[in-house]
Amino acid sequence: MRIASLPQPAGTGCESGFRGVVCVSFDSADDTADHDAGGRPRHDLRFTSANPESLSELRSALLRSSVGIRLVLTGSPVDIHAAAAVAAECGLAEEEVTLVSDESGLRVVFCAHCRTRTETVEPIGSEVECQGCATDLEIANHFSRRQAAYLGFAANAEEAA
Amino acid sequence: MTMTALQPEVHHAVKDGLQLEVTDVTRQTESIVSITFADPSGAPLPSYVPGSHLVVQCGTGANAYSLTGSGTAPSEYTISVLQVADGAGGSLAMHRLAAGDLVYVSRPRSAFAPAATARHFLLVAAGIGITPVLSHARACAEWGIAADLIYVHRPGAGAHVTEAKELLGSAVTECSDRVSFQKTLAEKLTTQPLGTHLYVCGPVAFMDAVLDQAREHGWPSARLHSEAFGAAELDAGEPFTVNLARSGVKLNVPAGVSLLETLEQAGKAIPNMCRKGICGECSLSVLRGKPQHRDLYLSDQEKAENTTMMCCVSRSLDEELELDL
Amino acid sequence: MNTTIINDQNTGDTAVLPERIKGFPFPFSSDSYRYSANVEPAHKIVQTDVGSWGSSLIDVDEYYLSDLKEREKVLEKDPSRTAVLPHMRPAVWDAITTLLPAMAEDHPDTMSYHREGNVCRWTNTLQNLELEFTVGDDDSLPMGPMRFLGSQITDDIVFLDPREDTLWLDAGLVTFAADWSFGFDVGMKFMEVHTPVPRVTTEPVINRAHQFLLRLQPGEQFRRTNWTMTVDRRLDTSTESYPEWARDRGTIANDPDLPNRLHLRVEVQHMLCLPHTGAVLFLVRTYLLPLSDIAQVPVWRERAGHVLAELPDDMAEYKGIIRYRKAASDWLLAGE
Ligand code: HEM
Ligand code: FES
Ligand SMILES: [Zn+2]
Repeated sequence: MRIASLPQPAGTGCESGFRGVVCVSFDSADDTADHDAGGRPRHDLRFTSANPESLSELRSALLRSSVGIRLVLTGSPVDIHAAAAVAAECGLAEEEVTLVSDESGLRVVFCAHCRTRTETVEPIGSEVECQGCATDLEIANHFSRRQAAYLGFAANAEEAA
Repeated sequence: MTMTALQPEVHHAVKDGLQLEVTDVTRQTESIVSITFADPSGAPLPSYVPGSHLVVQCGTGANAYSLTGSGTAPSEYTISVLQVADGAGGSLAMHRLAAGDLVYVSRPRSAFAPAATARHFLLVAAGIGITPVLSHARACAEWGIAADLIYVHRPGAGAHVTEAKELLGSAVTECSDRVSFQKTLAEKLTTQPLGTHLYVCGPVAFMDAVLDQAREHGWPSARLHSEAFGAAELDAGEPFTVNLARSGVKLNVPAGVSLLETLEQAGKAIPNMCRKGICGECSLSVLRGKPQHRDLYLSDQEKAENTTMMCCVSRSLDEELELDL
Repeated sequence: MNTTIINDQNTGDTAVLPERIKGFPFPFSSDSYRYSANVEPAHKIVQTDVGSWGSSLIDVDEYYLSDLKEREKVLEKDPSRTAVLPHMRPAVWDAITTLLPAMAEDHPDTMSYHREGNVCRWTNTLQNLELEFTVGDDDSLPMGPMRFLGSQITDDIVFLDPREDTLWLDAGLVTFAADWSFGFDVGMKFMEVHTPVPRVTTEPVINRAHQFLLRLQPGEQFRRTNWTMTVDRRLDTSTESYPEWARDRGTIANDPDLPNRLHLRVEVQHMLCLPHTGAVLFLVRTYLLPLSDIAQVPVWRERAGHVLAELPDDMAEYKGIIRYRKAASDWLLAGE
């Protein structure tokens, strides 16, 4: 087993043709440590969050790998969904990816009107102010894996002013 | 001409299909011929999904054969037919076809479609199983997608080898013994870039072995595809009789004809909408007998009660059904 | 049972009704409405009380050019109304080479299509358009294949990719959505697309539709209708533009001009399995008819009135008509 150090410089990911289990954890210490790779080779990636740099590193690791790999994503729902969207873009099927969500309840709300993404811990059905257009958004029970976000739309917009 | 121009009886499997003319017969190997069909008037034929098959009526039987083209706006359909020793599957009659003969064929059916998201294809064929895989190889060439082909055949008995090599070049590996095949397969299964899909066609035991081996190497089922002729179709079913209790009429429902069609032909107006077993409009009350439920409308429990049936797709398990009609 | 003013138009006299009413796909067959898998083969002509609809796959009617102009405006303002994930490029070409010949066949006086190998020639005299393009070559169409298709048909266009035992909404061009966001839904599975629909988990309709669509064979074409209501003849009622039109939902009930402003919005939805890629193409053609027009057909007036009055709250809420459906049904039924 090889544990990568944090943060990882680009280009030192798993070797080309890797077919084992890639365990990615976002700011959650040893959460993937107990993931059982079933005796298969395992490669760990640790990131602080799902930002453009870490996602691009994940992408290049995946594109170097071969059919047979599995991906385990651990962290907040926000981070692992963003990473899962990258995995889907790289051609991973659903059954090749496992999501292990922490209990933070953190989610991204995507504003349908200005397309800004707002992070919140408010539950589905409640309201949150859009960080882009300041509209009060109702958080719909509608999740997009590609946007890694819940739909938000103008709350109370039908009530006469 | 070696055959009567037209079979009088249209087989149920090619109903609503096309009537085509044989325009070319080419011997591929000692036991395999390629047969090309075209519209007698020269009209273009329907496009098809790579890996599709055609049901061809020959004599009184009808059999499915893979189309070998890419499926892009075809003016002709080409299939390759292996002559089986005992002539099973109508292969003898097929081998007797000659240019100018007219045959009934189904519209192309898709049950081995390439995954749109595939970035690379690993094609594996044994013997006559090369045919749908050749179709995939052509489509890959047209859309500029890379593919590897492993082709297992007896020495000198490989069909379409030249075409495959023209399409895929050095990505074709021919194997004529078990050992070299096992070695090649294991090597390929462990080195495919992410996003590769595997397509295998050949004898069932061969396909099963390849799929098992792929799974052992960690291939998930989403990436594995094997040719299953006809799985996409509702089969014609067995003939049965319906007894219409209220009108005191008995009707025979032949194989390949739905109960709904039979009732309509007998002048009964049955409400219907989709004719595909999903809308629920054509439900009938069953008084006696066990329907063979083939619809998507009734719940499992309703199906088990056997008191209602969707007559557009469902048939009978018993020889006779009594209906409240 | 129908009284007064409109009796003379009740039967024989439908010739005087305008085309928009005679060709309107009135969706109600009884006095109540529930979700059902109301799927039927495409092309089947449906006789209504005053006319008929449904003979062609792509309907070209009096709104053809104005609707397309409206679409251009929407796309100009918001390019996220169209998207094609890379693997769906072949499906878009498949749709073009399927729909253009179908249109030419249905409208031989104004449209023609010829294909020679991969080179196609398309004429559409309604738009003074004559062009040649090469199948598979995205650059051979000035605005690219997706935008081009969206400039020839007024239907909203959605492509679904069959894989992993489900259908993925992976491409399309949708400018006239009835209260949903195409841009947000791109990349979703069929069942995920439908999560906001009430009763999805308790009624088997959507599940059944899913199974049905998965079993479609290349070349097969089916259709269904769906409906809601819209204030004014506003085609773009997407979630994106919701702040612009949401207020009308709150005010229309007390507007004396309700019968002219409030429209029954009917979608004729076609579902095709494309011949060369096997992708499922979902086309949505939107028809809007004001209640004042509905009322010109007494049977429609009454039936629509009863449906609106009877519709369960959860469905009325979801359709966005709960604030004014009573006002609408009161007006419709007042003539009884
Ligand atoms: C072929 C692809 C289809 C697509 C892409 C599609 C898409 C959609 C979308 C985007 C919505 C709105 C969801 C929202 O509020 O965000 C919707 C609603 C709905 N869909 Fe589908 N649909 C399809 C096929 C079908 C079929 C075949 C059926 C049923 C037989 C069906 C039944 C419904 C129903 C009942 C609603 C709620 C409509 C209402 O109350 O106004 N859909 N669909
Ligand atoms: S006609 Fe629709 S279920 Fe039979
Ligand atoms: Zn916003």
